Amino acid sequence: MKNELTLSFLAIEENEALARMAMTCFITPLDPTLEEISEFKTIVSEAVTNAIIHGYECDGKSLVTIHATIEDRNIKMTVTDEGMGIFDVEQAMEPMFTTKPQMERSGMGFTIMESFADCIRVDSTLGNGTVVTFEKSFSPIIEVSRMR
Amino acid sequence: MANITQLENGVVVITLAGELDNHEANQIRAEVSTAIYTGKTNAIIWDLNLLGFMDSAGIGLILGRMRDLAPVNGETLILNPSPTMEKIFQFSGLGDAIRKCTVEQAIDEIGGVVHEK
Repeated sequence: MKNELTLSFLAIEENEALARMAMTCFITPLDPTLEEISEFKTIVSEAVTNAIIHGYECDGKSLVTIHATIEDRNIKMTVTDEGMGIFDVEQAMEPMFTTKPQMERSGMGFTIMESFADCIRVDSTLGNGTVVTFEKSFSPIIEVSRMR
Repeated sequence: MANITQLENGVVVITLAGELDNHEANQIRAEVSTAIYTGKTNAIIWDLNLLGFMDSAGIGLILGRMRDLAPVNGETLILNPSPTMEKIFQFSGLGDAIRKCTVEQAIDEIGGVVHEK
């Protein structure tokens, strides 16, 4: 299967759920397992939340853009913001590191993304924004009807 | 969505439903904190049986309330997370707080601890 999607939305917290829902619909034709869906949704949620609250500080006027392609049973996805950028990507990816402890951010976002995606890349320039790229492949469909 | 019950023995039971992300955590944080600070809370039970989704915002919310309870050495139990949530708790060092049991069983466990003190 081949498919492609581009989705842009304002940097408001309400759109975290929108992004999860849209991306879940996008992968549904691949017939993923419940756990695959749930892990994928978590990756999307972490990346989009970072863009909204760290990239743009919830400014409500800038756009977060998701671009995703499906090829066979693999998805490649980028979450892009043109916000403030990350000062030190390596440090940002350390477990429990957060620049917003007052907002009770746990600092676990990148750790979760790294664990649930097959691979992840973070490109960021101070003042220009951040692009998070990840890939995930879904397990082959087991045809239950034939197994019976 | 959070349903909060304060028991007489200082245990607060928080039943979460729907999707717990950053937005939702910000919606329910004040309500949860208020419940903890009214009355002498010494333990929190988070029941996630009805929770459909949680990301790292849930970790932030639960760790924050563990910090609230730290001055009284309060206990935290996390009940019935989904497999994905369980992984997230493990990554965050909260694996020891997970129980797969009913709220009543968790209250019994905490009751025993409270009693010993």
